[in-house]
Amino acid sequence: MTHASVVDKLTKTIAPLVKSKVALDESTQFTGQMELDSLQIMDLMLAVEDEFDISIPLNVLADVRTIGDLAREIEQQMGES
Amino acid sequence: MGSMSKFDAVVKVRQTLADVGIDPFGVLIERVLSPTEGLIQGRPTILAGTNNYLGLTFDPRCIAAGCEALTKEGTGTTGSRMANGTYVGHRQLEQELAEFYGKRHAVVFSTGYQANLGTISALAGADDVVLVDADCHASIYDGCRLGGAKVIRFRHNDPTDLAKRLRRLGDAAGDALILVEGIYSMLGDRAPLKAFVEVKREFGSRLLVDEAHSLGVDGDGGRGVAEAAGVLDDVDFVVGTFSKSLGGVGGFCVSDSEQMELLPYASRPYIFTASPTPATIASVRAALPLLADGHALRRQLRENAERLHAGLTALGYTLGAPVSQVVAVVLDDRTTALRFWAGLLERGVYVNLMVPPATPNNESLVRCSVSAAHTPAQIDAICAAFAALRDTL
Repeated sequence: MTHASVVDKLTKTIAPLVKSKVALDESTQFTGQMELDSLQIMDLMLAVEDEFDISIPLNVLADVRTIGDLAREIEQQMGES
Repeated sequence: MGSMSKFDAVVKVRQTLADVGIDPFGVLIERVLSPTEGLIQGRPTILAGTNNYLGLTFDPRCIAAGCEALTKEGTGTTGSRMANGTYVGHRQLEQELAEFYGKRHAVVFSTGYQANLGTISALAGADDVVLVDADCHASIYDGCRLGGAKVIRFRHNDPTDLAKRLRRLGDAAGDALILVEGIYSMLGDRAPLKAFVEVKREFGSRLLVDEAHSLGVDGDGGRGVAEAAGVLDDVDFVVGTFSKSLGGVGGFCVSDSEQMELLPYASRPYIFTASPTPATIASVRAALPLLADGHALRRQLRENAERLHAGLTALGYTLGAPVSQVVAVVLDDRTTALRFWAGLLERGVYVNLMVPPATPNNESLVRCSVSAAHTPAQIDAICAAFAALRDTL
């Protein structure tokens, strides 16, 4: 998958789970713009993991701030599996 | 980043509480009157927010054992076992815990928090993978973080989801450590341990069960949910605490694994802290046989839990789980739960307020914990307080 297609699939997966009306793109931030708290992000991650059939370790989430960051992490996990 | 900005989230929560005019985290129990009653704000208050499940904190045998140790061995050990020596009581308690569980090894820690921190951080290092139930206690997550293992979270109480994540690991699944609890502290729900054991066997992984809230409560011999489910032999590591049903403070891990002999040397929360005091060890040693023979206490606890569960259900409250000694009432939102909690305290009932992010599913709860020492009249008084507050919701 290309980075753009991962971002596209990721955006479609999380859109139903995001209550704020912010536009979702590569640079949208999870905690700031999407107004998600840590617990909501954890639940969102479970849905993302199922969609891509990967497991994303909690350890890497500290460095994930935007949809683009998460897309890059997904690409890395898909590459490892 | 300003030095105080890290506290921004805390400041926000405290401001919310200040706006309502209630501080649920600053409750002062002015005098402890019994295992189930204390003086709060000058009022005799039913304590339904402790974890004194078997009511052993005032058992005369435990008190006598603690007093004797205090007199003979002094007030404290003044250091860690590794650097400053092990007392005979530490060693004896470890032997007794190993025998109680029918496991070869036991290690005692100074608190329940440190038992998880010390065990998990030693077992799972940077090259290891742990799979954690989403609703596990903070001490389990902190243990993972301290050890540096790769942490994968699976859906709460969902063996199918666990299996899916183990499958993704490929060959690494055989070395993975699965972390679950027996009874979960927020809602009081039990883990489906039999199903988890089947998954663990399928992938050759190891399973650690934290029985903090189920020790003394579940199982014919009080060993917890693993005993009740008939899978104690399949659980590789059992972690527990002295601070709930045993009425003391401290924690432990028991296991047949040969790693246990090395665990203390690799466990920073074991090495770099003072060991439990002689009085603590002695009172726990006195409580352990009472817990093992505690069929009557467990029956009383179950009856009390059923009475409260049924009473609150009849009042129309939504409860977090089927009957256990933890009875969590689910309320609409944080402010409602806060006001409700304060209303109970005004009516002489102390329970726990639990709000996000400490709770699963972002729920706001008032959490009652039942004791075998509660009288039926006290349980009825708790129900009456809930009944009086129902119309205020």
